[in-house]
Amino acid sequence: MEGPRRKTPQFSWPAFFTAVAVLYFLYKIHVVLIPFVLSFALAYLMNPVIHHFEAHGFRREHVVLGLYCVIAAGIAAAANFMLPAMMNELDLLQGRAGIYYAAIQQTFSTLQDEAVRRLPFGQHIVERMSLKMYNPLMEQLPKLPSYILGLFPLLSLIFLVPFIAFFVLMDSENFLQDAVQICPSRHVEQVLHIFSEIDTSLGNYVRGILIVAAAIGVASYIGLMALGVDYALAVATLSGVSSFIPYLGAVMGAVVGGGVAFFQFHTFWAPLKVVILFFGIRLADEALLQPLISRHSMHLHPLLFLLALMVGGKIFGFVGLLFAVPAACILKALIGVAWDYYSTQIQTAPRMTLDGTEIPYV
Amino acid sequence: MLDKLRAFFIDKQFVSKRDFLKSLSIFKGLSNRELGYLLQMFHSRTYHEGETLFLEGDIGRALFIVESGRIELTKNGPGGTAQKLADLGPGSFFGEMALLEHLPRSANAVARERSVLLLLYRSKLEDILHHHPRVGVAIMTHLARLLSARLRKASENMVTFGAEPRAQAPA
Repeated sequence: MEGPRRKTPQFSWPAFFTAVAVLYFLYKIHVVLIPFVLSFALAYLMNPVIHHFEAHGFRREHVVLGLYCVIAAGIAAAANFMLPAMMNELDLLQGRAGIYYAAIQQTFSTLQDEAVRRLPFGQHIVERMSLKMYNPLMEQLPKLPSYILGLFPLLSLIFLVPFIAFFVLMDSENFLQDAVQICPSRHVEQVLHIFSEIDTSLGNYVRGILIVAAAIGVASYIGLMALGVDYALAVATLSGVSSFIPYLGAVMGAVVGGGVAFFQFHTFWAPLKVVILFFGIRLADEALLQPLISRHSMHLHPLLFLLALMVGGKIFGFVGLLFAVPAACILKALIGVAWDYYSTQIQTAPRMTLDGTEIPYV
Repeated sequence: MLDKLRAFFIDKQFVSKRDFLKSLSIFKGLSNRELGYLLQMFHSRTYHEGETLFLEGDIGRALFIVESGRIELTKNGPGGTAQKLADLGPGSFFGEMALLEHLPRSANAVARERSVLLLLYRSKLEDILHHHPRVGVAIMTHLARLLSARLRKASENMVTFGAEPRAQAPA
């Protein structure tokens, strides 16, 4: 009987051009894909909880429904606590808006006077600064309501994303099973190997960043409350949400919280305390959380990390910043698998050598 | 009443697969919960009659467990003739060395009838070792025992067929 023979894999130009065309098409319609990408990310975050119950033999559809009910109840409870606090903060902002506006004007005016008095060519510098910064800012102010209205379509995502995520969670196992079944039998091992590598490293990263965001949000709220800074909830929420973009959470918290503290207390010591608070939170994150999170997830060199953020931001804007690092993780996993495949195919991978292999088994 | 409630909430297919894993020697001693976690790490695939799972020389990535059907393992002999090594039925597993090292497969595997197989990947095993060490250690212990048994058998075969073992330890 003639045994089956291996064929050496060949580079395929049609496959290459098809892949490029698909990627270009996805880039052109990336705005439409945003809710779907966010839904997949949400489903990915919730999947470990569902897996936990599935391991006990519970049906997936019941677990998903139960989880949605629990999350809805949690959101309702959080809204019950947060809405009054948010309304208080809004009332406070409304009441003090005039004071803040006057304080900002006063600060600018003081800074201008100081610059004119102390710096050589002070008058010239102030005029240049006004021309470059103050005037464009004032021109943009009347457009502020339209910018805020422009954010409303984003609110639709709050309803759309969980809705899509629900169906993704219900059917994700079937999608995967169908994909495995469609895949040519001899390549199933390779394809699932790539999937496993990406899933293992990316899953830990995505879940880790959620833990970091929640921890930074809670720590910021407690810290700002302890310092007696107004709008603690709003600043903490902003800081927590910004943490989805690496390093941005602490920076946003320090800048916005510091600004609020300055206009509230009218001293430089108050914003400094806020900056120290967020610096402490960042250090605690680096020292306590990151080692736990990055232990099992993919390690990216800081330069690659920065490059990924810049490229993501440049091509896809804000959403690009959110997904730059996960995308870089996927790319790194793919390159690793491709190199692994190439080196083992051409037999360059070093064979495992162990001492004592020549001693017979006794 | 309790049974009806249980039947409503519990996934029968999942339980039957878990019981199948429980019956395998490689997962002996694991609790239902641990087997449940383990089962989630597996991918299931149906192979039709004549479909090739892998060929000699392909890089091994996964351990295969035959859930149903029949798999034939062959090795290419001199002149391209295939020599049958084994015929595996439900409950058999093969390709376990892929969990320990990324080296080419030493045999061909072809489905001889419609077969359902469970696949476990090395990266998933590493995941199990990190998150459920008891399960991971149980699998690794069994693999070590299996290797030991095969080596013992290979040594016996060498003596039986008259080959001289090269018993030279490094100086």
